[in-house]
Amino acid sequence: MNRLRTLFLAPAAGFTVVLFLIPLSIIIGYSFLTRGVYGGVAGPWTFENYQRLFDPLYGVILWRSVVMSTAATALCLLIAFPLALFIARADARWKNIYLYLVILPFWTSFLVRTYAWMFLLRDSGLINSILLSLKIVHEPLPLLYNETAVVVGLVYGYLPFAVLPLFSNLDRLDKNLLEAAADLGATPWQTIRHIVIPLCAPGLRAAGVLVFIPCLGAYLTPDLLGGGKSIMIGNLIQNQFTTARDWPFGSAISLALMALVMILLMALLRRDGEEAL
Amino acid sequence: MKQSRFLPVFAALVYAFLHVPLLILCAFSFNSSKFTIWEGFSLEWYRAMFNDAQLAEATWNSLVIALVSTFFATIIGTLCAYGLWKRNSKWLSGSLYLSLVTPEIVTGISLLALFQWIFRYWQVQLGMHTVILAHIAFAIAYVLLVVMARLRTAEPALEDAALDLGATEWQAFRLVTLPILKPGIAAAALLAFTVSFDDYVITSLVAGVDSETLPMVLYAMARRGANPVVSAISTVIFLGFGALILLSERMQKNT
Amino acid sequence: MNRRVFSVAIAGLAACAPRNPRRLNVFNWSAYAAPETVPDFEKRHDVKVRYSIYESNEEMLARVFSGNSGWDVVFPTHYIVPPMREQGLLAELDHAQLPNLKNLDPAFQHPVTDPQLRHAMPYMWNATGILYNKKVTPAPTRWADLWEPHWKGHLTMLDDPAEVFAAALRKLGFSLNSRDPDELHAAQREAVRQKPLLRAYLNTEVRDQAVAGDILGAQIWSTTAQQAIDASKELAFVYPSDGFPLSLDCAVILRESPRHGIAHEFLNYLLEPQVSARIAESMRTATANGAARPLLSVATQNNQTLYPPPEVMARAEWFATVTPEAQRLRDRLWTEIKSA
Repeated sequence: MNRLRTLFLAPAAGFTVVLFLIPLSIIIGYSFLTRGVYGGVAGPWTFENYQRLFDPLYGVILWRSVVMSTAATALCLLIAFPLALFIARADARWKNIYLYLVILPFWTSFLVRTYAWMFLLRDSGLINSILLSLKIVHEPLPLLYNETAVVVGLVYGYLPFAVLPLFSNLDRLDKNLLEAAADLGATPWQTIRHIVIPLCAPGLRAAGVLVFIPCLGAYLTPDLLGGGKSIMIGNLIQNQFTTARDWPFGSAISLALMALVMILLMALLRRDGEEAL
Repeated sequence: MKQSRFLPVFAALVYAFLHVPLLILCAFSFNSSKFTIWEGFSLEWYRAMFNDAQLAEATWNSLVIALVSTFFATIIGTLCAYGLWKRNSKWLSGSLYLSLVTPEIVTGISLLALFQWIFRYWQVQLGMHTVILAHIAFAIAYVLLVVMARLRTAEPALEDAALDLGATEWQAFRLVTLPILKPGIAAAALLAFTVSFDDYVITSLVAGVDSETLPMVLYAMARRGANPVVSAISTVIFLGFGALILLSERMQKNT
Repeated sequence: MNRRVFSVAIAGLAACAPRNPRRLNVFNWSAYAAPETVPDFEKRHDVKVRYSIYESNEEMLARVFSGNSGWDVVFPTHYIVPPMREQGLLAELDHAQLPNLKNLDPAFQHPVTDPQLRHAMPYMWNATGILYNKKVTPAPTRWADLWEPHWKGHLTMLDDPAEVFAAALRKLGFSLNSRDPDELHAAQREAVRQKPLLRAYLNTEVRDQAVAGDILGAQIWSTTAQQAIDASKELAFVYPSDGFPLSLDCAVILRESPRHGIAHEFLNYLLEPQVSARIAESMRTATANGAARPLLSVATQNNQTLYPPPEVMARAEWFATVTPEAQRLRDRLWTEIKSA
């Protein structure tokens, strides 16, 4: 058993070490260095970048990011679960089509679709035009450039990341269990609550992780849909690597963020055992 | 099994939510005006799009990169998921989950730093190869996650039974577990392709002069303001891929 | 496959192999070349050009910083030239290969960051001012007017710390290149005070929204403003009376490039009056080429937005390269503004 397993794990291990762990250690190194005079990194070695993190300013930014990411993840799961259920229950003829319909929009550029949303939400955009012409409102609603727009954008951007793992899990569900429950008098809602959801917990957790984490590091959506008025952790990091050209500080923030999330993940793992993810 | 009407209605709404921006883009790709006020029907943006050599090259690059990296990432990721399912390796699964947790800009910068360091010793430059390697690297974790979710629902006992009946490990894997995994692998491959085709941040950092991808071109065009050529491109991608999918489904049914 | 077919195929492939053409890789700002600029150069000089675009200096720098990017010619803004030079990224310009340098407008022949034009060739210049809808009364004339309450929710500023600080510093009467911590803190407080009036921090995207009438006032670059005015009669542009920033985009040749000769040919080509005039006319940019100015249409030459008269230019101040300490402070203050 060991030989086959080692063979199977070798390519992944190779990629992980060379293209992830080694670059990561370079970034760790950067986080202890100083900003080069005009960018890049330079000596001396210092803890200063990590010390800067204790400023309450960054705590506020992190908190705001966590709140918005949690909201987006919760919404995503709420929307993805019934959809994944629908697809899993569909006829075999249609299943793949439905799956592709979920993915298809995402093969067009994310930025382009975000701009399409901006067009919809603008003061002179489609939604406001409809509302105004139906006399539901008298002045355009400020739908764009606020935190709600950002959450909507995040949900939109990460929905397939939630749908696919959930579907993968739900599809495998033993139909006999569901029939048995129905035979015993359970309503569809009871069946879902007491059988389906517990059985697809791994899928829910995978989906939650796949959505929450990129949301936390997102910068394009908050930037475009938030109007650059509020800053999330992703924007902060992005800023350090581009405009500010402070790679060491950017590295420190990123590593701190990653550490935080890993602690979260490990807590989840320990609570539910290895099966959690 | 009782079917409620709620699910189909809900699904329809969600699909509408997902596709409405695209329909908007589609509509405006036929707009004769450059700005977002309807002025008349026109095909000029499609003409402009087809005449754009840079766009054609970028699309080709994106396709090649996405197909190659999806192929390798799916294989590597699936095998890895299976291996970890048999017996976990803390450092490997931990590292892979860590790579999921890493912000894209950090992945991009770290890979750039690695490549630059390597280039000091080997006279290679950034190019398609660096982009593909980068894409495989980050796609593996996605594949792992999706396939693992499916593996958790599989019965280890089935493989043990096969082994008891005299099958080798490889046979047990190929004939017992792999068929069960197929939909999971397909879903994982789909996700990997999507993530690769649409990636901007990492690709823009590790791409070379000759490896411009479609997202890079689209970003450049879209950031300059409303550009109907961008809408035209998105419409074509949407319809093109849609047609491809329908075709492949039709073909699968005939076999 | 039999041997005959195979050898024919190989011969065919060999025939298709490129005969080592002359190449050039150019990385430029978007909308800084007319549609025929690059194809004409390719035809006249028998060069195959790969032309890509970017939206910000940072984007370009990130690619070029390693010294191994593959690009030959890039276009940094003038205040990025000293850092690039310090990093050893730039090749020296051989003036013997650039006879057209004499075409440059005298005002741009000795830019403050490279007076001898050792590394940078001035290309197009830009200024920042206020684009506004003529419905707004009173019409804005200075930066301080952007702090008036009547803008509520219909005003945007640029999503660029240098520009926002420039506006706030000038409002307070300080130099827009100030490194003084007290002045910068005061500017930051002003920016935070203004934030409730803002719809968003937007760059080029504001153009469409101004044209559509969603935004009534915006801090924006002159070229983008001109594009907006071209599209809507209701818009106007003003250079603030309390001073405004100037920037000059220059062409540089990267030291890593193995094609210095062809690169010089390209730069010299860009300096030709007709070429420069075509770009400036069709892309609505302001050219640094003095010999090109007379070739522009009369309307463009007299355009006050693109080519402001000397008394307006007297109020302008060139962006300076920011020192690392000042950069740190500005970054920190910018994060505070965004987080407020």
